[in-house]
Amino acid sequence: MSELGGWSGKVLRVDLNTGKIWDEGTLEKYRPYLGGTGIGYKVLWDEVPNGVRAWDPENRIVFACGPLAGTSALCSGRTAVTSLWPPHKDEWVASGHMGGYFASEMKYAGWDAIIIQGRSEKPVWLYVNNGNVQIRNAERLWGSGTYRTHAEICDEMGAAAQVAAIGPAGENLVRMSCVITGNSHSAGGMGSVMGSKNLKAIGIIGSRSVKIEADPGEWKKLIDYALSLAGANNQWVVPSTPQPWSEWHNPRSRWTADPRRYWGAADPPISTGTCHPNDRNSIGYRTLKSIYDFGEVAQDYTVRMDGCHACPIRCFPVMRVPSAARYGAPAEASNTCGGWWAGTRLMRHRFNTYAYLESAVVGKFFADDLGLWNNYNLMPGTFQFAYDHGILKAALSPEEYKRIPWKLYESKNPEFIKDFCRRIAFKIGEFGKAMGEGTDYALQKWRFPREYYLDGQGVRYFKHGHTRHHEWSGAQVGLLINMQYNRDPQCHSHSNFLSSGLPLELLKEIAAERFGSPDAVDANADFTRMNAGKARFAKFSLLRKELHDSLPLCNWMFPWLVSPLKERGYRGDSGLEAKFYSAVTGDQKNEEQLDLDAERIFNLHRCLTMRQMKTRNMREAHDLLPPWVFNDPNGKKPYTPGARAVEKDDMETARDMFYAECGWDEQNGAPTKKTLQRLGLDEVASDLKKAGLGD
Amino acid sequence: MKKHSIDRRDFLKSGAVSLAGLSCLPLFRALDSYAEASGSIPILMNAKGVLLADPSRCTGCGRCELACTEFNLGKAHPLVASIKIRRNLNFGPNGAWAGQWLNMGKADQGRIFQETCKQCAHPVPCALACPEDAIRPDAATGARIVDEKKCTGCGICVSACPWEMPTIDPETGKAVKCDLCGGEPECVAACPTRALHYIKWRDLSRESVRRSAGIQSNCLECHK
Repeated sequence: MSELGGWSGKVLRVDLNTGKIWDEGTLEKYRPYLGGTGIGYKVLWDEVPNGVRAWDPENRIVFACGPLAGTSALCSGRTAVTSLWPPHKDEWVASGHMGGYFASEMKYAGWDAIIIQGRSEKPVWLYVNNGNVQIRNAERLWGSGTYRTHAEICDEMGAAAQVAAIGPAGENLVRMSCVITGNSHSAGGMGSVMGSKNLKAIGIIGSRSVKIEADPGEWKKLIDYALSLAGANNQWVVPSTPQPWSEWHNPRSRWTADPRRYWGAADPPISTGTCHPNDRNSIGYRTLKSIYDFGEVAQDYTVRMDGCHACPIRCFPVMRVPSAARYGAPAEASNTCGGWWAGTRLMRHRFNTYAYLESAVVGKFFADDLGLWNNYNLMPGTFQFAYDHGILKAALSPEEYKRIPWKLYESKNPEFIKDFCRRIAFKIGEFGKAMGEGTDYALQKWRFPREYYLDGQGVRYFKHGHTRHHEWSGAQVGLLINMQYNRDPQCHSHSNFLSSGLPLELLKEIAAERFGSPDAVDANADFTRMNAGKARFAKFSLLRKELHDSLPLCNWMFPWLVSPLKERGYRGDSGLEAKFYSAVTGDQKNEEQLDLDAERIFNLHRCLTMRQMKTRNMREAHDLLPPWVFNDPNGKKPYTPGARAVEKDDMETARDMFYAECGWDEQNGAPTKKTLQRLGLDEVASDLKKAGLGD
Repeated sequence: MKKHSIDRRDFLKSGAVSLAGLSCLPLFRALDSYAEASGSIPILMNAKGVLLADPSRCTGCGRCELACTEFNLGKAHPLVASIKIRRNLNFGPNGAWAGQWLNMGKADQGRIFQETCKQCAHPVPCALACPEDAIRPDAATGARIVDEKKCTGCGICVSACPWEMPTIDPETGKAVKCDLCGGEPECVAACPTRALHYIKWRDLSRESVRRSAGIQSNCLECHK
């Protein structure tokens, strides 16, 4: 038991080589790292030396949440999955992140994290019933999709169990595979690590509580305060259509509630209504995500909303499209944004058409049931580029090319989705293998032309096998963020602020308060040169992303620099994370102190990457930019209105300023010994020194 | 409140026995032994209010369960919440069934059925079954509430409830059930989609799927 609230106090260890199961004390070993990715990076640093590959038994896969999971801290139902990263052959450290209910059930079973190492000789699954942990035979489950695996394990463990499972893609060591929980939530990229261990799934059920140190009255006040500041999905705080309570509206907003908009397939249909920001009981209606994902046509097919445990926002639309059954997919499907990729990004239907929606529902089933991952849309984009530029015809043998049902693709028939997904999940032919091997494999093997890397409108390959993600949000801020990881950054801290719907003047005011300068914020597509405010903004965004992946909290919502409340001047409270943490654990920390923990976690990731890359020269070896960021698609000069481009010199300045802000070496961007010591990472500093990578 | 004496034959003759009532046969046997032991059967007045769930609006966020236990018990413990979501969430009230999809719960993206205490009218199964007479009506709301000083955690109330609503808290050894939070239910306040309502009491017992047919027949093993 933990002497602090929040944490369960125990981390579960499993060695599939020997069948040994044991536990560690969370606080004794991992307290400075909080949870989530913090624990993940610490385990990799300590236990997975260079030379270990992602599919080796020696690799660890770390499923971790943190002290807030399982409580009503808003949006706390997140699990980080950290390991060596299969989607790129270099396999540097990375994490996938899944929502749903798995994190909470892990806590109710008494575990803050589950760390799995080794490899089982035969297919197994991990049974976790409170402290009763067993490695069970999965031979009957192997080969099943994730949907069936969920049902079978819940049949055995109880309907309230939560399951994280791989499908055939993970089993077959397809690099583009994921771990699925609850049928709809996915941790990208990590499926094949489980597959390599012959680990089909983890099933968890628990009967314990999560302790909250604050007294119930105080906790209730804090929860209510947090609810008062909530916006809609991605912390949009302005509605998409004019509403009586709001000074402004923004058609791009995800606050799509409107009295004329409905959960149209509910029984009876339910209006999303006006959703006044003071109305706690309509927060779940604010984000009618289906019309954001599919267009207005989706209303009639929206049953309700869904999402993760303890989140009031409900950003997962539940769609019912009976005609999907024609293609072998269930009529009902729930996912969000890029999760619909196997329909929306693969097939070329027009947005806001029935066909677009139908393809999405079909695609979601095959992708999620097979446990296929799309590299945040890079895989289907690469496929389309290859198709359009005759690369597939040149790369594949005539026999194989003929066997792929191109007529279905050209006629936009959803049957193609099934064929496409199965080819990849089962590594059928050169096509199936290449699409699933990680983007760089296809690019190199099939000799993609330079145009692919310059394709600023379409594919938007960033670097090292990954794509971009909110890269233009904040100009240099977004670009710096996209450089920092070994996959797309999965960071929304910056875009949650910049795309909140508030007018530019207000954003600049708040940026001045928080980052020391109004120039930290540019107008959309009206970039200015790099400045110190942007460096602070970028660092803040990255630290908060790691903090959220460790506490946990949802980085698609937090941090809350803004709120929908006019009476507060639309200010949010960037200290909410610290308030939740202090109230739940009883460990009183303010914003700065908790950000220090976040900085430690972020720097540990950096050091781990350096160690794996065997370089200190992060500026030149790692923090790279794609060529298309320097060319506006319409040929406009950077830093002129409407131009989506930056200049090379300015981006070197961006690195300079960002490195300085982070306390990293100004030449090469490596964390200095001084910074590592400030963060309590002395041993990491000396390990780096021993490896010839220290200062 | 006046206690009424009633003998079994009169009770059956009075026509209070319905087809649904027959399924409460073990309950009558409990009434029997109650009457034998104490010479009388307590009849609880109806509660003033009751929780009504609207499954069309439920999105499965679970904030009702968390509010119930966090604000009342000071811990996050959905297992013992007085409103039940977690056990229905994945597959609906009928549970997982060998991988077959029943269009209920999240697994088939169907409805989530929130289960709430019916604050039953007489005969109140949990109250009558309790050997310690630990379940009595709350003064403010008439909610059937557990007196923790008397409760021994035997679990008979859980078995007696046709909807398996009370829970024995493994951490305290006491029964936990809905007390309507003194008239301002936390779950209703916490629901982000207005899927819960606190309404004037009416009999909701016919509107909900029963959970515990199996458990009730277990009672017959002892109460022959």
